[in-house]
Amino acid sequence: MRNKVWLGTAVLVLVAAYAFYFANPNIAVSMFSNAWFLAVPLVLGAMVGVIGERSGVVNIGIEGQMLVGAFAGFFAAAATQSVVVGVVAGALSGIAMGAFLAFTTVKGQLDQIIAGVVINIVATGITSFYYESGKTIPRGLPNFDVPLLSKIPLIGPVFFSDGPIALFALVIALVLHFLLFKTRWGLRTRAVGEYPSAADTAGINVVALRLFNVTMAGTLAGLAGTYLSMEATSTFERGMSSGRGFLALAILIFGAWRPLRALAAALFFGFMSASASQLQASDVVNIPQQFINLLPYVLTLVVLAAAAGRVRAPGAVGQPFVKGD
Amino acid sequence: MKAKPFLVAAPAALALVLAGCGGSTGDSSSDGSSAAPKDCSSADVFCVGLVTDTGSVDDKNFNQAAWEGVKALEGDGVQTKYIETKDAKDYANNLKQFTDQKYDAIVTVGFLMAEATVTAAKANPNVKFIGVDQFQDPAATAPNVTGLIFPEANAGYAAGYLAGLMTKTNKLGIVLGQEIPPTQNYAKGYEQGSKAANPKSTVAKVYHPAGDNAFSDSPWGAGEAKKMLAQGADFIFGAGGGTGNGALGEAAKTSGAGSSIFCIGVDVDQWETVPEAHPCLITSAEKKLTQGTTDLLNQAKDGSIKGGNFEGKTGLAPYHDFDSKIPADVKTKVADIVKQLEDGSLKVA
Repeated sequence: MRNKVWLGTAVLVLVAAYAFYFANPNIAVSMFSNAWFLAVPLVLGAMVGVIGERSGVVNIGIEGQMLVGAFAGFFAAAATQSVVVGVVAGALSGIAMGAFLAFTTVKGQLDQIIAGVVINIVATGITSFYYESGKTIPRGLPNFDVPLLSKIPLIGPVFFSDGPIALFALVIALVLHFLLFKTRWGLRTRAVGEYPSAADTAGINVVALRLFNVTMAGTLAGLAGTYLSMEATSTFERGMSSGRGFLALAILIFGAWRPLRALAAALFFGFMSASASQLQASDVVNIPQQFINLLPYVLTLVVLAAAAGRVRAPGAVGQPFVKGD
Repeated sequence: MKAKPFLVAAPAALALVLAGCGGSTGDSSSDGSSAAPKDCSSADVFCVGLVTDTGSVDDKNFNQAAWEGVKALEGDGVQTKYIETKDAKDYANNLKQFTDQKYDAIVTVGFLMAEATVTAAKANPNVKFIGVDQFQDPAATAPNVTGLIFPEANAGYAAGYLAGLMTKTNKLGIVLGQEIPPTQNYAKGYEQGSKAANPKSTVAKVYHPAGDNAFSDSPWGAGEAKKMLAQGADFIFGAGGGTGNGALGEAAKTSGAGSSIFCIGVDVDQWETVPEAHPCLITSAEKKLTQGTTDLLNQAKDGSIKGGNFEGKTGLAPYHDFDSKIPADVKTKVADIVKQLEDGSLKVA
């Protein structure tokens, strides 16, 4: 029943999108491209949250992890003049930030919220202090057309004519959904996040699994940052993550801790944002831009409020696991 | 197992230490670096201090332009020195370093320092303060503060005029930061200038929705530019700090950049500040900060400076690589408009 509702909604959205496309292909493609462009870091950020919270660790440091990823990626690429080195550095810095969260909260059993806040503060401090103006990278990550897929009307130009990280975000959401719900790793991860002592009794090494998951999830946050500084733009600005890490947390809840729903939620938010700027730019309605720009946030709030009663966080989120407790 | 607070405490302390470093100073006294600092309380020495907004004096932007304006004053009996602000919380402390040493004139850079500047001026009525890009509200200002302001609308008008003459699609775009008077003026000038040059042209205009990061959200700017370009715009004016720079970078990456797609920078000659925009950056709507700072400091030195607001000059930055690509008659028309704006015969309503 539930699945049918979701499938129905998806089909409805797709039909509406194509109706829009046939009415005005130019505007439709540009708006959906804009939506996806804005959604990519949100998707990656939400996936970090999905992995963390499904394993029982709240990660409110996604914002900081992203910012460090953007910083490390950009300045590594600027120093070596190689974008490949930049992407690798961005991902590795994400792992380092993930490892910090993992070891303090899982091994050290610190309050997870505090550890996340620390990540955000340290990230802002470090990236502002070591920021150097005037550095450039040889070029941003290039866009490319995926063979065949990029020929599909609407979906092709929107999803399959982008840079590598955008494509990766799309793929990782699908892969993560499969991993989480169809594999042994996924079952264990969910068990550890729902009821760690039961998982422990069943012989799962709770601490090791949480350490691994939270650390590796950092890669995605690092890549989200790299997307900001090397794919969406070719520049680093102080504080350029601009609250996207926090938005990703809202999307995680909106997406009911499920990768594919989070992907849909991120696209929804991106599209609301694209609609707001489209209304503002075209001047068709004469209302102050501040009100139009409220639209995505108000709608997100409404949807969140509607979804609030129906979604449930993993059972053990926020609680450190102490064996034999 | 007990919690290990030190795991968190160490990096947290590190962050605080980093953030608390205040500012670095540098000086370039006129008679060489080895000389002892002069006594600023003496009447024979004119001491000028500059406090940057968060950023360095070689940022190729506001801070650097203002510092160059200060350095232009160097000569006999002038000492110049700067303090780089690392954190907005340090504005007052950095200003105090200069007032404690009895500096004669202090230049502060950027809109964000306006409040700290007026507060310091009220505490030190004998020191002349020059607030670059800080509009002085007569009700709140002090008599010893002069705001160096720029008619952004004029700069926007010139940029719009050029875009209006050059556009092939008759669609122009402008990506702005937060909606505040300077960005509103840029947009207003841009719209009017493009209409004056080409009545058929339309301008798509977007302001950044959020407050806090409205001027550093380059990915958002890039996304907006991408959308405008896909809808047929062939000129993108990025007027909003990092947000606008993101738009310039996106236009530069679009196919046709430099032949059918162009972009316009803002505030300073962005050819120097945003190298990734070179493929499309035809010019920048420029505030002549260096000249304005020097003019005001000379007035402060000879005592003719007045409080309130002083209007600096605006114009278009050099065309650089695009000099040969712009038709000669377009250049003449634009130069004419810039001159009319400067002498006041053309006013932006």
